Order: sequence, then structure tokens, then C-alpha cells
Amino acid sequence: MAKPSSSNGKKASARVAVVAAGVVSPLGFGLAETLESLRKARDCVSPVMRFSVASCRSKTAGQVLDDRLLAGQGEGIRGHRLHRASHMMIQALKEVVTQEPQFKPELAVIGTTSGGMSYGEHYYRSLRQAEELRHAPTWIANYPAQKPAIDAQEAFGISAPCQVIANACASGTNAIGHAFECVRSGRYQRVLAGGYDALAEMVFVGFDSLQASTPEKCRPFDRHRTGMVLGEGAAILALENFELARKRGAPVLAEIIGYGISTDNFHITQPEPSGVGARQAMERALQSADISAGEVDYINAHGTATVFNDAAEGRAISTIFDGVPVSSTKSMMGHSLGAAGAVEAIVCLLALQHQFLPPNINFQALDDRLELNVVANEARPALLRVALSNSFGFGGTNASILMRKFEA
Amino acid sequence: MSLAIAGMGWVTPLGRGVDSVWQQLLSGDEASATAISEEFGHRHYSVFRVPESALTGLAHPRLRRASLISRFAAAAGLDALHAAGVKLDPQNSERTALIFAISNGGVIYTKRFYRDVVDEGAQSASPLLFPETVFNAPAGHLAAILGVTGATYTLVGDGAVGLAAIKMAEDLMASEPLDHCLVVGTEEVDWLSCDAYRRWRLLRLAPPIEPFNEHQCGMILSEGAGAIVLARDGPFTIECVHPGGHFAKRAEAWEILKRILRDLSPSEVDLVIASANGTFVDLAEYRALKAIVSNAFVYTAKPALGESVGAAGLWQVILAAQALRSEELPPVLHADPAIALRLPLSRTFVAGARRAIVLSCGVNQQAAGLRLAIRP
Repeated sequence: MAKPSSSNGKKASARVAVVAAGVVSPLGFGLAETLESLRKARDCVSPVMRFSVASCRSKTAGQVLDDRLLAGQGEGIRGHRLHRASHMMIQALKEVVTQEPQFKPELAVIGTTSGGMSYGEHYYRSLRQAEELRHAPTWIANYPAQKPAIDAQEAFGISAPCQVIANACASGTNAIGHAFECVRSGRYQRVLAGGYDALAEMVFVGFDSLQASTPEKCRPFDRHRTGMVLGEGAAILALENFELARKRGAPVLAEIIGYGISTDNFHITQPEPSGVGARQAMERALQSADISAGEVDYINAHGTATVFNDAAEGRAISTIFDGVPVSSTKSMMGHSLGAAGAVEAIVCLLALQHQFLPPNINFQALDDRLELNVVANEARPALLRVALSNSFGFGGTNASILMRKFEA
Repeated sequence: MSLAIAGMGWVTPLGRGVDSVWQQLLSGDEASATAISEEFGHRHYSVFRVPESALTGLAHPRLRRASLISRFAAAAGLDALHAAGVKLDPQNSERTALIFAISNGGVIYTKRFYRDVVDEGAQSASPLLFPETVFNAPAGHLAAILGVTGATYTLVGDGAVGLAAIKMAEDLMASEPLDHCLVVGTEEVDWLSCDAYRRWRLLRLAPPIEPFNEHQCGMILSEGAGAIVLARDGPFTIECVHPGGHFAKRAEAWEILKRILRDLSPSEVDLVIASANGTFVDLAEYRALKAIVSNAFVYTAKPALGESVGAAGLWQVILAAQALRSEELPPVLHADPAIALRLPLSRTFVAGARRAIVLSCGVNQQAAGLRLAIRP
């Protein structure tokens, strides 16, 4: 059970280490493949194959390939019945467990937006079209949003209470941020944090109906940007009290040092145009980390490439920061919604570990109304100590986390 | 760290308002079942719906097109804040967090949105409906109504998600400079959810819910919302929130429930608000309760109010608080008198009761608990 923050009521403030990380995304399976894709500025967006997009404006997405994803069949736990999202979570956790087999979490905080939505679609479509419903119990049992998080734990004999955060596209960053606060407060020593989402027709069509997704390339912060491309994936970080991690000789991949959350209440799908919500989240993260804006070396932006998001986020960034390199790696892999914040935290982790700036591909010319230092089209070597990652979502929810390179 | 409950709000099939619903429960009232059907489904299901009158006077531009689940949540949340005497303004809105507990979410709009896609193709998808299908739409609406600018979270899970949300609130209030945390559990019911639970062999076609019955005939779904304002001070103290965990198989659920009960110091507890709903949950709770707290009164409101899934945990906390406040328990409806638990089969006084355990076992593998005390 959780421990109290401190006996005198004063907030404890433990350092928080990332001791292991795992990822599966269109960029690749695992940290090594992800790193290679980032360095080579790969465009991992491809035509959608999972469902018909004939009537949609947008035809592409960042996709995780099933032939690799399903090869292990979920490590044998009723694998063929599990949702793809469960397989992604299992892959991501497998990488964490391989790195840190001794990591025993007290809590798992996982973000998602749509759970096993495609199973819900199968079920409804079969009902509606009077088709075969023999598999309905499997679809229904594997549809709930908490299921992939539980399946992944079960695959590796882990049994931590699970908090599944569904804060739309900010979910993954909220999950890591909340887990960070839990460890920093001293109430927990070890927490798994991350996010997942698998591509689903309903969600794809939904963003298409809003005209938020593009029939073209995803060009964040570009003058000619026309919208987002959806994606999918899963990522998990193992967070641990820094002192305990060092004491037991665990590798420290990086530190999480700050978290900011805000709600802007402007519109259910659009950010407040001046970027006040985004600005508050970033300012609160800086305040939480007790660092100045000048100490941030890289920003992994939410950068969906929609007109509204990039304008608001760009304004917010330039209000706080002066020329800090910015990129949106969604240009390479699409927007994986509830997974995005977690996958992008891993992008920041790799950038800090390997001292480079991940690229913002498909970039032609900066939006005239923005003052940003965009990492255009190619990865660049750089000295990085602190990275900021942003995620913003429907419902006006905004989240930012700060990560610091570990220097022994 | 202990938390206090400073105010509560309740929207149920027996109407709206903590005292009103409580009095009806004490009187042995049971919600009226409504039959619902679907154009493509041959089967009718019985559900407990919130009466329209419960949302009278709830008007806000943000709710004009909002789903029922958002309206229930707004009504319960506003009532809880009112009961706590909390008025949010730009100064304190940043120091108030909002945490939602949801299970099935906005299933009515989700179904309508996808129906258009299935029937007429993607070009017919509604951009107005899509945002309402997102799990955090109810939280977004209430945050906008209240002007909350700080932390807003939506947790998704099964019937135990309400207690997970309270656990999260406890963690937030321990690590953040917050004055209040408004925790809201909310759910709406639809034919589609009924059909899904029926195919999963968890639903019965018509009332009653027979708690702790060995035949496990199934549950009846219901809807509504429950909200509590958590503060540093208030008439009820949440002494301990047990995060519980998950069980791999239904037959193993009782073991985690036993552990939760043991960790919640059951010797000091006078009553348990259980989640028994006519499914496998009942046997799991029965075994755990018999093993750990055989002397405490055990109450479940699900025969009277139905299974509200995402809202259920908050409803249980409200029930526990009301039982401690009034030192009474309503009758457990449709229970077999031969069941070897201390069930109040009629309105029962529990004079001097000071502590209650809330035990939540969901049907999708999650379980949690908490211990509540009334201030002397």
C-alpha cells in the first residue's frame, strides 16, 4: 500500500529515475529500431490496410505491422483472442522486463483513448448486419480499456493495481506525469507508466469527419500544413525512486523532473487560440522541475499539424522559450493518441541518451505567424540536457513533462 | 494521509439528491424497470433509468448537445460542490482537481456515430457526435462549466473504477497543493451495453437482482452519477483507500477481495457496503466476507438501484456515508434470508456505527476497497 508523503506534512521530493523503457510504434519494435528510424528521419506512414478508407479524405496512417506484432501471440496467454492493443502492450512491457527483470511495480498508470475499439466495431457491425456473432464474447471481453494493461501484466507475472487514464490525446503524458508525481511524493517507489492505442475505424473516421486529418503528408508547423495523420503504438517506462534505483545498481536511462497539467475549457475539440492552456502546462512543468525555460534544450511538440493546434502550441512555445529546437515526431509515425505521449517520452529519452535532435519531417516552410526553431527534415547532433514533451487533447486537457539526461 | 468528504451529489434511477434517494432506500423502494429495445435486435432488456425529472433545471450552453452521461455527471458534481459549500472562482479553480470514473462511457452517441458509418459510409459520420464519444467528454464539459483550470483526469475501468478514482485523488492531494478534489462516477445505459453483458452471461432479462444467490442469475444495468468533494476537512474521513488489483480468473476474485478486507482492518468496522449484483461477484464477496468480516452488517443497493458500473463505486461511498450519518441501513432487497451473512433484511438501526468498508469488485477483473469513518 502507498506510503504517506511525510510525517510533518511537508511534501517529500524524491528524484525519479527511468530505469527501463519499451516501445512498439510505426518507427519500430524496441528502442534500437526506434532510434534508427529517428536518426534516419524515416517516414513510417503508409496506406491504411486494416479497414476501408475509400470514403475518407485521409488514406494513410502510421501502422504497426501485424506479421511481427502477432508473431509471439501474446506470450501464450490466450494470445489469439487478445486485441492488437494487448499485443502492443505485451511487446512494450517485454522490453521493459528484459531490461529490468527485478522491477516490481506498486502501481501501473496507463493512458489510452479507445481501448479495444475495433472489437467493439466488430460486435456492432455484426449485430447491425445480422452476421455471425460466435466471437462476440471474445470481442466483448477484450474490448474494455483496462484489458491491454492487465493482459501485459499477466504475461509477465506482474500484478500491480492499474489506473487507466483516458484524457484523450494527452493520456500518455498524463499517465507518465501522474506516475512521476506518485514516485516524487514518496508515496510509491516503483511505478509503470505509459500508453497505448491501436488504430480503429471509428476513430479514424471521426477525425476525418472533423477534417482534422489530412489526405497529404503530415507537416507540423509548416505554412502548408493540412492536418494530422493517425498512428498507433504502445510505450511503457519503468519509473523508480532515484536513490533506490542507484542503491540496487539499476541503470538510470534518464530522470523525469517535472510535470504540468492544465485545462483550458475553450472548446471540446479546439485549443484556446492564444495557447493559454498549452502555455500553462509548460509553465507548470518548469515550475514543478524548478528550472528556467532557458535550461530546456529540446521540445518534442504535440505538433499534430492541424491548423489550430500548431498555431496555439507554436504561440505558447515562443512565448516561453527563445529559439529552443522544436520537432513533432508525429510527422514520421502519425498521432497515436493515448500512446503518443508515452512514445514521444521515449523519443525524448533516446534524444537525451544519444545526444541528437529528432526530426520534423515533410517540412517545407515555417508558418509565417510562428517563431519557432524547427528541426527540419533531418536529425541533428546536439548537446541535450533537458527535453520537454507536450501532449494536448480533446476536452481542453494539456500536459507537459520534463526529462533530464542522467549524468553519473 | 486521510481525506475528508465535504459534500456529495447523487443522480440515480430513484431520482436526484442524497437525502431523497436515501429515504427511498430506507423505505425499501426499488427503481422501476424500463424495457428497452433496438431496431435490429429481437431481444428486449430491462434497465433502471434515471427519471427525466432528475435533470430538471440543469441548463448550461455546454450541455446543449451533451450526452446523458455528461448531464448526469454535471448534475451530481454541481450538487456535491453545493453541499460542500464550495464555490469555484479564478483564484481557487487551479487548486481544485476533477477526477472522473467511467466504464462504458458515452455509448449512446458512440453507437449513433458508428451506426451512420456502418449504414451509410464514412462520409455520413457526424463531426458533432464524434467528440461526445470520447471518454473524457463528460469531464471536459464539467471542467468548462466549473472553470477548472488545473488537473482534470478521466479514469476508465470496471465497477471498481470509482474507488480507483478516489485513490488517485488521494495521491493527487498528497503531492499537489490542492484544496479540493471533485470525484465523479458516471454511466449511461443503452441496449447495446445490455446485449454485450448478456452475451457475457452477466445480465438477466428482467428484475429482480437477487444478491448473493447461489444461482447467480445476473444483473440489471442502471445509470446515473455519484459525486463527492474531497477536502482536508469534512464530516466523513476516508481513512484508507486500498488500490486492490486485478484477478486473472473469476474464480480467483475472492482472494483479492479477502486481501483487501484484511488490509482494511476489518475488526474496527461496523458495516460493509458490498458490490454484489447477482453475478459471480456475489460468490467472491460472500467467501471473502465470511472469511474476514463475518460479524459486520453487509449491504448492497444494487437490487434497488441496479448496476451502474462506472458510477457504482461512488454510489457505494455515498451509501456508506449515509449509513454512518443516519446509523441505519436500508433493507437488502430480494435476498434469501438463509444467506449466511449479516444482511439487513428490513430497515435496520446500526447505532454507534463509526466505520464502514466499501468493497468494489468489477466484472472486468478489477477490485478495490476503502474504509470510511464518521467524525465523532
